[in-house]
Amino acid sequence: MVIAFVRTIVLYLFIIAGIRLMGKRQVGELEPSELVLALIIADLAAVPMQDFGIPLLSGVIPILTLLAITMIISMLSMKSVKFRALLCGRPSIIVENGKLHQREMRKNRFTVDELMEELRMKGVTDISTVKYAILETNGQISVLPYSDQKPPIAADVNIQTTESGLPLVIINDGRVLEHNLKTRGYDEAWLGKQLQAHGAKTPKEVYLLTADEGGRVYFAAKEGQE
Amino acid sequence: MKRIWIALAILLAILAGTLAHSFYLAGFTRNLTVLLEQAEVHAEQEDWETAAKLTQDAYDRWQKKDLYLHITLRHDETDAIHIGLQEVAELIQCKEGGEYSAANARLIANLELMVEEEQLSLKNVL
Repeated sequence: MVIAFVRTIVLYLFIIAGIRLMGKRQVGELEPSELVLALIIADLAAVPMQDFGIPLLSGVIPILTLLAITMIISMLSMKSVKFRALLCGRPSIIVENGKLHQREMRKNRFTVDELMEELRMKGVTDISTVKYAILETNGQISVLPYSDQKPPIAADVNIQTTESGLPLVIINDGRVLEHNLKTRGYDEAWLGKQLQAHGAKTPKEVYLLTADEGGRVYFAAKEGQE
Repeated sequence: MKRIWIALAILLAILAGTLAHSFYLAGFTRNLTVLLEQAEVHAEQEDWETAAKLTQDAYDRWQKKDLYLHITLRHDETDAIHIGLQEVAELIQCKEGGEYSAANARLIANLELMVEEEQLSLKNVL
């Protein structure tokens, strides 16, 4: 049984490293080729994990081969639009100016129920308010309402806003993130002042402290700390 | 582009490694087969001592590569060869001519099948 334990750890780390090397996109929405990769890798890894009569290498070699092929395909699809279209297909417009493109829906085997579900999930209940609904190559639906159906933004109503920028975590569960502190241009003295201002003596009493580019600080004390 | 070259290099390295393994295995088992066949010739001439030496030599060579073979081949196949080598060695000790010949032929066939499985051929791919 110890073999199963060790093999599982080795294969798990190997796959995580491989998927990580493929890039972030691989982890999120899956294109058809990526879905195939995920399914095959899962199966390939499971066999040598359970069957000790099979050498680990016979699981590792196919996985490594698949990852290398996927890497090549990813790079080629990034370089060539034609190759990308061939591999991943093209987005399909299934609603245009409030009208359903039934032929496109049939072509993509996309049912009305699925469309209504996707629209509801995006807060749309009336198809006639949709300018475009596009079935993307990863199977997700992008819904673009008519401009008069879009929620207004600050610029539309001429409201002046200030840019707060990205808040960086300075203290995370009692730990000071020195790199973020320096990135924001602050030092220990500034941090000491912030702690004092919020009634904390040490960073260990803080659950979360963030600072944005405008100098605004968010403070949350650790619960259960006096 | 660098990633494509790295991926291609990995694929080529895997291909080269697996082909090298096939060639090495073919050569390695050919040597073992020659030793076992020579042992059988000697056994047929009632020269059990030389037959035992040759079989022991084959066994030692197999044992030397045990780790490599265990890593690259199915364990039931390597176990079958290991058991076969011990079986023929024991039959030589007992000077059981008929049974030895059958066991030796089975062992050689197992070795050949094992190598054949690893060769890049249309039959194996299909």
